[in-house]
Amino acid sequence: MGISYIPVARAGELSPGAMKEIDLGGRQALLAYVDGKYFAFSRHCPHEEADLKTAGQLLNGTTIRCNNHSYCYDLNSGECSLPKGAAPLTVLPAEERGEEICIRLEW
Amino acid sequence: MSYDLIIRGGRVVDGSGLPSYVADVGVRNGKIAEVGRLTESAARTIDAAGLAVSPGFIDHHTHLDAQMLWDPYGTCEPQHGITTVVMGNCGLTLAPIKKGDEDAVVKSFVRVEAIPRHALEQGVTWNWHSYGEYLDNFEGKVGINVGGLVGHIAVRHNVIGEEAVERKATSAEVQKMRAIILESMQGGALGMSTNRNERHMREDGKPVASRLADDEELFALCDVLAERNAGVIETILGRNKIEHFEFYHELAKRTQRPVLWQSLQHRWVEPNLWREQLNAVEPIFKAGYQAYGLSHTVPLVRHFTLQDCQVFDEFPTWKNLMFLPVEVRKQALADPDTRQKLRADFADPRPTNFHRRWDIPRVEKVVKGENQKYVGKTLAELAALRNQDPLDAFLDLALEEDLGTVFWNANNGGDRDAMGEILRSPYVLVGTSDAGAHVQFGADFGYGTILLGLWVRERQVMSLEQAIHKLTFHVASIFGLEGRGLLRPGYAADLTIFDPKTVGAHEPEWANDYPAASKRLIQKSSGLHYTIVNGRVIHEDGRMTGDLPGQVIRGPLYREQKAAA
Repeated sequence: MGISYIPVARAGELSPGAMKEIDLGGRQALLAYVDGKYFAFSRHCPHEEADLKTAGQLLNGTTIRCNNHSYCYDLNSGECSLPKGAAPLTVLPAEERGEEICIRLEW
Repeated sequence: MSYDLIIRGGRVVDGSGLPSYVADVGVRNGKIAEVGRLTESAARTIDAAGLAVSPGFIDHHTHLDAQMLWDPYGTCEPQHGITTVVMGNCGLTLAPIKKGDEDAVVKSFVRVEAIPRHALEQGVTWNWHSYGEYLDNFEGKVGINVGGLVGHIAVRHNVIGEEAVERKATSAEVQKMRAIILESMQGGALGMSTNRNERHMREDGKPVASRLADDEELFALCDVLAERNAGVIETILGRNKIEHFEFYHELAKRTQRPVLWQSLQHRWVEPNLWREQLNAVEPIFKAGYQAYGLSHTVPLVRHFTLQDCQVFDEFPTWKNLMFLPVEVRKQALADPDTRQKLRADFADPRPTNFHRRWDIPRVEKVVKGENQKYVGKTLAELAALRNQDPLDAFLDLALEEDLGTVFWNANNGGDRDAMGEILRSPYVLVGTSDAGAHVQFGADFGYGTILLGLWVRERQVMSLEQAIHKLTFHVASIFGLEGRGLLRPGYAADLTIFDPKTVGAHEPEWANDYPAASKRLIQKSSGLHYTIVNGRVIHEDGRMTGDLPGQVIRGPLYREQKAAA
């Protein structure tokens, strides 16, 4: 059991509304900076696996829309908000630790 | 008298479900002329010794409405023995349409059926208004036979315009819709389809138009089919619920038309739902009405390693481990305390897609020669062989192979006994290929070749004769496709010649054959040697001949109308 903080970006590296590709243990994910908070999530939409790097659009608040089919996900919980009840987006906790943005992985 | 084509010495599986027999099949003028020992000559002879000869398969659940406009074969339908397709399912059709409504329909197709917008914008010409005019587009231009259902979504937009996605219809509007349904049936529609799936939205997040229809509207539209005693009613209500069967019963009883509902399949997380559904539908049939459940033959399979695995993302500890650096992950996977947390994740009773069973995932490929003995074993069997707890056996094997072991899992459609009962049920219509939809996500053109390869040959859940019946005459009977679906004299010479010992479907692969350079997935087959439509060979061992003998299959009201004229 343990906790790992995986650094994925420097503080200030992302401008508001920007997204960055990150590699976590060989899995592709994205880091987004929205409303002063960082969010990390799987790069692929759970609906039909569209690449959210190109198809994802950050909306107001903490929602990302996959423009392939307009599925929307809450970046805090991963829950699919439109249409409700569809498979969730895999999300990971991101936090600022000093000068770095880290993904907190606990096991 | 000579024939255009003789297929010699094949095992005739005639679509009726009766035992097969060896015979020659003579074809003349697009129809089966004779079956038996034929001594006459023919312009072409196909030697079918050792092969099966059956009616061409009928794919009743497609969304090829757009694709057939640019691809006369509905690729890859013929490669899997399909000679007839039914379009217009789930409430979605490209007709009837009036100027200005095109984008409303496109918005629904793009979102619900996941067809790239650019492909639709470039590939759909919109040179029609009525459903009959839409079907006219295919006359003389298609390689396979096409028919279609008229979709409630397009009908609603036609009458209510953009407000179709916002409100109920007035009585006057319902009357106009009824007239359009009748006109569409007289133009050749094989029935109508509707969509109440709570997840089905347009691109702009608004519900598809048919979701705004109340029972009164829907029943009034279906009454058109009842009054004319013609056509099927295809429905999609969303999440499978037993309460839906009251609706199906009411609709089937009121209209006395075949009602089709979606869907019935075996899922490990709801392992008894399929049986409850079959039990719920039985009284409808016993009362003398028809409400067929659509089922699929293709298990939803995932192949994975613990190097890059999404299968367990629903479980917090598993998920976090799978994002850790590989060396840290390996240490964690070996740690007994972490394994306890992984076990606790699986013990959490909340519903998940992953079934949490050890008797389903299998070892598919190993790295080390000494582990070859585990290939094909379930994780429960692996555990027994290694005298370990299943989770320990699973993780230890993966760790011994530096996480390179490939595992196989199916959350849906993997259980032999359940699938056998589902596929054999007379209340189940086999095949939900969704051909023409979700084109960048999956390709299930091979539902028929998978039925024959996986479920008949490998798992032996039904006879070849039963399976062919399900793929042919069962569908033709329900949809009222006169003169098709049986290999008998007088029937259309829509034929498939395949090798029962090798027939099967390949894994989907990428192609660039959609308009606007859109990528999509296609699927090839093996053991499927010839596909013949109206007596002419269109597919021969993976090669398309270029011939376009397909016909537009129009429903009984069109035929009545034409006879009267």
